[in-house]
Amino acid sequence: MSGGPLIVQSDKTLLLEIDHPDAQACRMAIAPFAELERSPEHVHTYRLTPLGLWNARAAGHDAEGVVDALLKYSRYPVPHALLVDVAETMDRYGRLQLVNHPTHGLVLHAFDRVVLVEVTKSKKLAGMFGARVDDDTIVVHPSERGRLKQGLLKLGWPAEDLAGYVDGEAHPIELAEAGKDGRPAWTLRSYQREAVEQFWAGGSGVVVLPCGAGKTMVGAAAMAEAKATTLILVTNTVAGRQWKRELIARTSLTEEEVGEYSGERKEIRPVTIATYQVLTSRRGGAFTHLDLFGARDWGLVIYDEVHLLPAPIFRFTADLQARRRLGLTATLVREDGREGDVFSLIGPKRYDAPWKDIEAQGWIAPADCTEVRVTLTDAERMAYATAEPEERYRVAATARTKLPVVKSIVAKHRDDQVLVIGGYIDQLHELGEYLDAPIVQGSTTNKERERLFDAFRSGEISTLVISKVGNFSIDLPEAAVAIQVSGTFGSRQEEAQRLGRVLRPKADGRQAHFYTVVSRDTIDTEYAAHRQRFLAEQGYAYTIVDADDVLA
Amino acid sequence: MTTTLADHLRSLPDEALGALLQLRPDLVMPVPADISALAVRAQSRVSVARALDALDQFTLQILDGVRLTRDPGDGTTSVEAVVAAAQGVDATATRAALDRLRARFLVYGPDSALHVVASVDEVCSPYPAGLGRPAAELESRTAALCADPARLRRTLLSAPPAARAVLDRLAEGPPVGTVSAAARTGTDGGESPVRWLVENGLLVPISDGEAALGGPADAVELPREVGLLLRRDCGPLGRLEPTAPAVAAVRRDPKSVDSAGAGQAMEAIRHTEALVEAVAAEPVPMLRSGGLGVRDLRRLSRITGLDERTAALLVEVAYAAGLLGETEVPGAGSRAGVDQQVMPTGGYDLWRMLPLAQRWEQLAASWLAMTRQPGLIGQRDERDRPISVLSAEAERAGAPSARRETLGVLAEQEPGAAPDVDDALRLLAWRAPRRGKGREPAQREALSEAALLGLIGLGALTAYGRLLVAEATAARELADDDPLGLRPGGEQSPNEPSAAVQALDALLPAPVDHVLVQADLTVVVPGPPEPELGAELELVAEPESAGGASVYRVTATSVRRALDAGYAADDLHTLFRRRSRTDVPQALTYLIDDVARKHGGLRAGSAGAYLRSDDEPLLAELLADRRLGLLSLRRLAPTVLATPYQLGRMLDALREAGYAPVPEDATGAAMLTRGRTRRAPARVSAAARMAATLTTPRLTGPRLLGVVEQIRRGDAAARAARRAPVTVRAANGHTATGLTAAQAHTQALAVLQQAVRDRALVWVGYVDAHGAIASRLVRPVSIGGGYLRAEDERTEMLHTFALHRVTAAVLDE
Repeated sequence: MSGGPLIVQSDKTLLLEIDHPDAQACRMAIAPFAELERSPEHVHTYRLTPLGLWNARAAGHDAEGVVDALLKYSRYPVPHALLVDVAETMDRYGRLQLVNHPTHGLVLHAFDRVVLVEVTKSKKLAGMFGARVDDDTIVVHPSERGRLKQGLLKLGWPAEDLAGYVDGEAHPIELAEAGKDGRPAWTLRSYQREAVEQFWAGGSGVVVLPCGAGKTMVGAAAMAEAKATTLILVTNTVAGRQWKRELIARTSLTEEEVGEYSGERKEIRPVTIATYQVLTSRRGGAFTHLDLFGARDWGLVIYDEVHLLPAPIFRFTADLQARRRLGLTATLVREDGREGDVFSLIGPKRYDAPWKDIEAQGWIAPADCTEVRVTLTDAERMAYATAEPEERYRVAATARTKLPVVKSIVAKHRDDQVLVIGGYIDQLHELGEYLDAPIVQGSTTNKERERLFDAFRSGEISTLVISKVGNFSIDLPEAAVAIQVSGTFGSRQEEAQRLGRVLRPKADGRQAHFYTVVSRDTIDTEYAAHRQRFLAEQGYAYTIVDADDVLA
Repeated sequence: MTTTLADHLRSLPDEALGALLQLRPDLVMPVPADISALAVRAQSRVSVARALDALDQFTLQILDGVRLTRDPGDGTTSVEAVVAAAQGVDATATRAALDRLRARFLVYGPDSALHVVASVDEVCSPYPAGLGRPAAELESRTAALCADPARLRRTLLSAPPAARAVLDRLAEGPPVGTVSAAARTGTDGGESPVRWLVENGLLVPISDGEAALGGPADAVELPREVGLLLRRDCGPLGRLEPTAPAVAAVRRDPKSVDSAGAGQAMEAIRHTEALVEAVAAEPVPMLRSGGLGVRDLRRLSRITGLDERTAALLVEVAYAAGLLGETEVPGAGSRAGVDQQVMPTGGYDLWRMLPLAQRWEQLAASWLAMTRQPGLIGQRDERDRPISVLSAEAERAGAPSARRETLGVLAEQEPGAAPDVDDALRLLAWRAPRRGKGREPAQREALSEAALLGLIGLGALTAYGRLLVAEATAARELADDDPLGLRPGGEQSPNEPSAAVQALDALLPAPVDHVLVQADLTVVVPGPPEPELGAELELVAEPESAGGASVYRVTATSVRRALDAGYAADDLHTLFRRRSRTDVPQALTYLIDDVARKHGGLRAGSAGAYLRSDDEPLLAELLADRRLGLLSLRRLAPTVLATPYQLGRMLDALREAGYAPVPEDATGAAMLTRGRTRRAPARVSAAARMAATLTTPRLTGPRLLGVVEQIRRGDAAARAARRAPVTVRAANGHTATGLTAAQAHTQALAVLQQAVRDRALVWVGYVDAHGAIASRLVRPVSIGGGYLRAEDERTEMLHTFALHRVTAAVLDE
């Protein structure tokens, strides 16, 4: 028995005991092929998935190496069947290759004739193939490149895409690391540099970085690498404006070179930032803004927050396989389980760094998570007990009892910038009045939002109440405290995103605080538990305190 | 000749005779009466076949050499002749092979006059060494050709290439080919090579009479002389392989091999346990024809997440190891056609208490010894029915020896060497070609099954697997040698684990008694849990992942389950504090407290009746009333009492005691009780019945017409029945007209055909399906396909008569 730090389970999970002296070395060894699933305080869970193994294969690791790593670090005997399975799974990748044939254009080339016969006979792939060039090669319609890759992945024979990319329309973009317009000089962080390098080497793919770790800069650096016209897809207009601001500040791009394509403005410029919403809006059943993808010869397409990518965008992306694609996200967990589509259409995961690591390096602020449990008054309990089932969460989450608790937390952090985040407008208004703080909600105009955010950033306003619009991509670096009063039921990634609001590094390295106020013994507690699971798995342990302790 | 062998045996010293008996133990079962009987038995077909089965390929080839070099006259040969025949092989190897044959008395006699035991020819191929019969025995023309070696050589050299290819193939043996197959090698249009060969006397067609030797009717045989000439490069016996074929092996680290095997061994145990538990949860019915249904196997494999092949193997092994057994279905007949079902046995509970290594040994040893071939499951038997798990069709007596031999090859390799599967099988085939015939699938399965059970890791036999195989072999030999187990060293106290168990035990993780509790409410047991810890966790948490370690998750449901099972919140806190090597996270503490606070907040029970009143003192009075003691009233709330007895009894008791209770129904409304008069079910009065019969329905127009129609039809039917002509009626009985039955039938057919054309009415006499005789007036519609279709005007129906049943037909006058 080797006494290593790793325990290999038969359901293909790997348990890594992190207090073990070899834990760090073991993590380096297994990270390329195993996906980190949970990282609570003592035992991290990795999972061996076909996608992960194929990712490793794509990065040049072979089955022998994977098996060796497992055997070397495993504390207990590793089941023979699992080793065989790993080898067989990895062997499936690369039997098929998509390549450019000098005369026939895009072809599927097989190193195993039987596999080619199997896939060409598949009903799901019918119609994607053209004529046979020879026994091992078959012509693929260029328009089916994406769908074919999706289909092959589903059949378990992922194809290696070596057909290359079009360069796109060249456009000079440089990182302005020396500082621009009087701003101080800066440099790309080490992990951002690594992420860009790995992405560029792989061609297309997804970079996973926690909120506040500077995903925008990874995008900017990728653009500087591509030096071509770029289409950036973001979740909403505010996030788009922030991208624009960052790009102008950190790169050689000027105001005139960056366009915004949103509900309000329809500018198409060398670098165009479009929102998911405008692209997926339909009129008369047809997507009206689809032309944007063909408006220019884009050399790079960047998808911000890949985990939120709406289904229609996947379909458009299937047609963009000849262009380089960069996905940026804090989490690959998709509540709809379409991770496979992200893999086949945008690309394999190219870079991943656990939150706690980046925090340990000082790039994001350490956070302290607290759950405050309030006890409802009898009247509220009665109201909750008699509420209709679909109303129960609202009744529990918006209990007035939460107000004094929120107020006392705000009072406790008098010197910090505090965000109060909630999901119900009525409650937010109550809070706004109670705390005497401005509110940002869906109906707030973009101009007003910008004004309030600027005021918050500069410290004029110390408390801001925001609705769900604040979930994503708002850069408020000085926010050190976030208080969540209600959420979207049990959404895990919402909780992660909200925590992300306060994780941006603070000028003075202060501790960040994340509070979530829940009503005891109601469905609110259950949803809170579900939401927190994700963060607990990421190593953020919650402290639970009683509302009375906060009020006292 | 029998006497010669008997004489020979009689002259042997005791040791030599003993050696023979040791080599061929079947000769003394039962012990023969005398040497003659022994000699007879030693020459019997069964015993000779058994002796040959144990011989390797080379020895058998040398035996062929002995048969080939026999003098046609006295049937003897000499050692020299055999050595000369075994061309290209070291003489000592040939002599050693001859010695093996002589030690078994398959060949006997002095060096210069070797005899072959008679029945060898009967149990071996009729073509020794794959050579045909001498030309003299086949055909005179060919014999003449063979008698002139120079001419034979010339003819051979002049053979066209296609014909030469046919010759070469036949020369390798067997020397007989069917003509069609041989002819196919010829090119289309050109002359058939076989015909050329036959015409030139190089091949001899063998007739029906000779087909008894094994050749099909239209077959050709290559005469021995031609065969020998073609084999002049490699010798008369063909290619000889005096030593066993080498086995190529991949070297692996023995530690990795053991580790992979041990990991798989744990998996096998876990999966077996899961399977047996699945069977326990829902016992599987045995089919009437034996075995388990395909659907049941599919269900088991779905529950356990195993593929069907693995599930079938593990069910077989669990059954062989005595973990599963069949029992009568309680209340048989609940499911049609089933009265036996498979359930875990008491042995399963004992097995679960054993340490891992011993559990594995029980499984692996049972697998080695079981006379079943699970690889057959799912295939079809000779009657094209699928072979099911635990059915008699998968029974193979040779399975254990196939496994032992196959693993034996692996055991001969150095530790950590993973031999090439095909090489290993080739070696097995060389060692006992006669026995190994058709065993290849079983041997392949033995290897894959051994890998599944963890005897083999990374393709090589593990150290503990080696020990187990050695033990199994030794146990077999011990039983043969020392049936009473008297020999010292052979005994082993049953409590002491075997060497294999000890070796495996050292590889398996030691059981742990602690856990790691984390903030995401997972509980990790970093190794196999001690039974006590396992039982505790099973209760308070949901299993999430199993293997070397196990991961559990504590949920509100699991905590509630623990509380239901009698744990108090404090017990749970203590449990986690005691077992956890790390601090218990706050989230867990809160979860337990939260659930515990709500637990028991509602109480449920059953009562026969309740009693409620807003008057609390009144209820207190009732409770204190001794006369109501029999009701066992219990106070549920200040205003509610409950009794286990039914409402009626309580009411009576209360009223007797002088209280005035009012019963209420399920909605709370007071139930009024008023005396009810008993009545029989209602009946109709006689007057009403009378009136009903008196009123006759009025005869309306249509109704009247209907009646008339009915009467007419009845009349027509009656007349028609009366009018069946004599001929028809007679034909139904005996022929009255003097015609034979066949003639009458032909006549009837003619009448019918005419009637079809004329659309005339015909009387048809026929015998119905029950043999009853009937006649019918019909209008034929068509005749065809052996049937007559005709309309019966009386019943307005279309009838079909089988023509062969028609006895007569007469036109209606």
